[in-house]
Amino acid sequence: VNEQAQLLPGTLDLLILKAVSLGPLHGYGVLLRIQQISQGALLIEQGALYPALFRLVRQGLLKAAWGTSENNRRAKFYELSPAGRRRLREEAAGWNRLVTAMGSVLAAEPEEV
Amino acid sequence: MKFLSTLRSFIPALFHRAQIEHEMEEELRSHILNRADDLERSGIPRAEAERRARIEFGAFERRKEECRESVGVRLIETLVQDLRFGLRVLRKSPGFTTVAVLTLALGIGANTAIFSLIDTVMLRFLPVQKPHELMDVLRLSPGSRNAKPTSGFTYALWEGFRENQDIFPSVYAWSPGRFNLSQGGAVRYVNGIFTSGSYFNTLGVRPAMGRLFGPADDQRGCPSLAVLSYGFWQEHFAGAPSAIGATLSLNNHPFQVIGVSSSGFYGMEVGSKFDVAVPVCSAAIFDSKKSRLDTRDWWWLRMGGRVKPGISPEQVDARLKVLSPAVWGGAVPQDWEPQWQQNFRTRLLLSAPAAAGVSELREQFSRPLMVLMAIVGLVLLIASANLASLMLARAASRTKEIAVRKALGASRGRLVRQLLTECLLVSLLGAVLGMFFARWGAALLVRFISTRQNAVFLDLAPDLRVLGFTAAIAVFTAILFGVLPALRSTRVSLTAAMKGGQAESSEDRSHTRFSSGKWIVASQIACSLVLLVISGLFLHSLIKLVTLDLGFDRSNVLLVNANAFAASIPPAARPSAFDEMENRLRSLPGVVSVSRSSRVPVSLGEWSQPVEVDTPNPPKGEDATVYLTFITPGYFQTMRTPLLAGRNVAATDTETSPKVAVVNESFARKFFPNMDPVGKSFRRVEGRAGVLPTAIQIVGLVKDSKYESVRETIAPQTFYPLTQIPTGDNYEIRSEFFEVRTGSLPSVLVPSVQNTIAQVNKGITLEFSSLTEHVDDSLVQERLLATLSAFFGALALLLAMIGLYGAISYGVGQRRSEFGVRLAMGAPPLSILRLVMRDVAVMMLGGVVAGVAISLGAVRLVHKLLFGLTSYDPIAILGAIFVLSAVAVVAGYLPARRAMRVDPMIALRYE
Repeated sequence: VNEQAQLLPGTLDLLILKAVSLGPLHGYGVLLRIQQISQGALLIEQGALYPALFRLVRQGLLKAAWGTSENNRRAKFYELSPAGRRRLREEAAGWNRLVTAMGSVLAAEPEEV
Repeated sequence: MKFLSTLRSFIPALFHRAQIEHEMEEELRSHILNRADDLERSGIPRAEAERRARIEFGAFERRKEECRESVGVRLIETLVQDLRFGLRVLRKSPGFTTVAVLTLALGIGANTAIFSLIDTVMLRFLPVQKPHELMDVLRLSPGSRNAKPTSGFTYALWEGFRENQDIFPSVYAWSPGRFNLSQGGAVRYVNGIFTSGSYFNTLGVRPAMGRLFGPADDQRGCPSLAVLSYGFWQEHFAGAPSAIGATLSLNNHPFQVIGVSSSGFYGMEVGSKFDVAVPVCSAAIFDSKKSRLDTRDWWWLRMGGRVKPGISPEQVDARLKVLSPAVWGGAVPQDWEPQWQQNFRTRLLLSAPAAAGVSELREQFSRPLMVLMAIVGLVLLIASANLASLMLARAASRTKEIAVRKALGASRGRLVRQLLTECLLVSLLGAVLGMFFARWGAALLVRFISTRQNAVFLDLAPDLRVLGFTAAIAVFTAILFGVLPALRSTRVSLTAAMKGGQAESSEDRSHTRFSSGKWIVASQIACSLVLLVISGLFLHSLIKLVTLDLGFDRSNVLLVNANAFAASIPPAARPSAFDEMENRLRSLPGVVSVSRSSRVPVSLGEWSQPVEVDTPNPPKGEDATVYLTFITPGYFQTMRTPLLAGRNVAATDTETSPKVAVVNESFARKFFPNMDPVGKSFRRVEGRAGVLPTAIQIVGLVKDSKYESVRETIAPQTFYPLTQIPTGDNYEIRSEFFEVRTGSLPSVLVPSVQNTIAQVNKGITLEFSSLTEHVDDSLVQERLLATLSAFFGALALLLAMIGLYGAISYGVGQRRSEFGVRLAMGAPPLSILRLVMRDVAVMMLGGVVAGVAISLGAVRLVHKLLFGLTSYDPIAILGAIFVLSAVAVVAGYLPARRAMRVDPMIALRYE
């Protein structure tokens, strides 16, 4: 039985924004943090992370700067820009609304209709 | 916002591509190494850890590509990639590339050539300061029958206009002229212009050397000064500074050179360039007793001015209208009849934009150039259709390649973009080569429309408009022949294509592709039929003109224009000197007959006057105008114009004997209907106050002949003895034509004729031509259209037939196995032939029906350029259909024969 859930399309951006909002991270760090928070429940293809990161930088939601990783390697660190923070708030709210709605629909019993 | 951010990353992406590329690489590698570090920490050996980290990361290059796309480097990079790949593909199939590029180079080159002529003749502004401010001043005679604004003015009008006008800050006048540089013997003409002192200044032309004319050079009796054009200075003086101060002999008068105008200025007239400019006032020395400065009905000047910015053409016209009475009233020819003088006063001044200069060439060739533009446009269309078919066929052979690339993850849009880039590449290569063809072709066309009398000069250096046009048609063509094949070839079913080479021959697909090929071929046939009909019309019309009975025999007549003005013969002694020359020429070996006349047929310059006759209800006014030619007795014999009744002019008709005339049939019909004109008399109205009409008796009747052009309907003409030519202030004949009928080629006799005349007088200047040349030169427009349309018609036919051949061959190839089965089942080969030829017939029929329909509309556009044909000339239309069908049957039969000979064994085994 596969315990890991497939990502819904479009959710990767939200996950990255959330992960980075907790503190600046390099690409591999983003991956680790998502795994750590979700306790390994979410599967992210490693290579797929970077196009998303580049895209978010281009959209001005993330800022990038070179630094040194905990393994003592040169790495690019990402942090949220003000626009990114705003976007995270909106998307998170939207996501919560969707989950609530989906949840109540799926929990419906015959007599409630 | 999104666009801005795209731009923000796109621009550095353009400039720091290498750096971005490098950072991207480093970041992805650092990820893998970080991961490997973690794996190593969990106890995996380093090498294995790195291997695993790489595997977990996935396809490295593809991720990089995705990152590039996210950053926005992709657009430029894919373009570069596509171009590089496109070049590689084109290099791999040199045959296809050569054919495609050459086809397009011809098509685009022809279009660019014609367009560059249209640009230079019709669109381009003069290379002077602020050309859009220049206005031409024209005159209009309100009462006249064909009231059209015309451009000639007399010197008195120019003076009046210059003094009275207040709408232009500065005005100028000029007149084209021709100066003979040689002093006796064969002429050497240069193009001259007479210019007012304000001419160069108003146009904003600067001197390259010395000075140009100024207001001081504008007074009567001005010294004989000359300004050279830059080109003539280079040619004649090799650009030497010593040219300033040198003396030029113009029509045997010394002129001192004072300056050279800037390079790139060729004068106001598009289609010719001036060599030498002299002041308007100096024209007087070229004239005798009464100069063109004093003659109030010598319409030789053109006038114009530069308007103040912000003044509209309507304001200019309104002001000119107000000024008209004063200008015209002050310049009335005093010796005209009172009624004519009254009409003169009511004439008007108007204006027209002169930014693009003035040009007879423009009036003559605007319509032909437009027709040619349409013709070459159609040829390009047919050529692109051929390329489209070719691309379709190629697409079939590239199915596998496309399928592989699709399987590897290329999107359809990306593939279409790639294929279109290839087309664009071919098209641009064709355009570059076409520019060279165009340069050469346009120069050739200019040479084609140049005649001996009128050497056409056009500045053909391509400007931005021409370059833009070429680029635009290159892109347009690429889209035209690229889009359909690109869309079609990328619609591949992967499994079918991968399974095997010919597996894509599923019945309906091959059927649809064949039918789109059919559409292409049918439209090619339609287009080429239109071109064939048009060229048929032009050819037929030219043949009619060339074979027309002109009323004289044009072959083997040498024409010599002998000008005695420069020679030191007193006017009274001129007739006997010319008689002497005529007699001597008659005894030259090789000469059949000789005559002289005041003018030769089918040339510029007309002499017409109204006549009066004493019959009931005679024609009056302009309707009674007849042409005049003064001749010696040998004229009709030399021209081979038959005398129908009465007698020829004779040596016994002298200056003092009764005035006589020979008239043509049109004259007789108009003035003496149903009567014998011989013995009747008429009066020539001289139109001058105090001058009585000259009474003249008709002694002979000749066959109708053309006067001014081959295309004219013949008008009444009168011929008089040269001895009875009016003399006085207003008529002075200085040059006469010798007509020499020769036994062989006229040009052979030039040296001996030149010697013979020099024996009588060395100072007489001579200009040689032949009657055939005169007639041919007058048909240059018709010949241009007939030649070029026939050439392009043939080209179009060839292209369409290649298209037809290709389509049928392709169809036969596709249906090979079907034919094989049919033959194996016992179908007679002829039935296979019939099957294929049915396709040919369908395409032909569709094409011809559409083509005839379009042609019937198109002929209306060229109707004005035709001679002696109805628009729906059955010979041209049926001829075009016949030629097209005949060639199409051959083009279709060749591949059809192959279908008939399909060996069932081989065809079936192949499947």
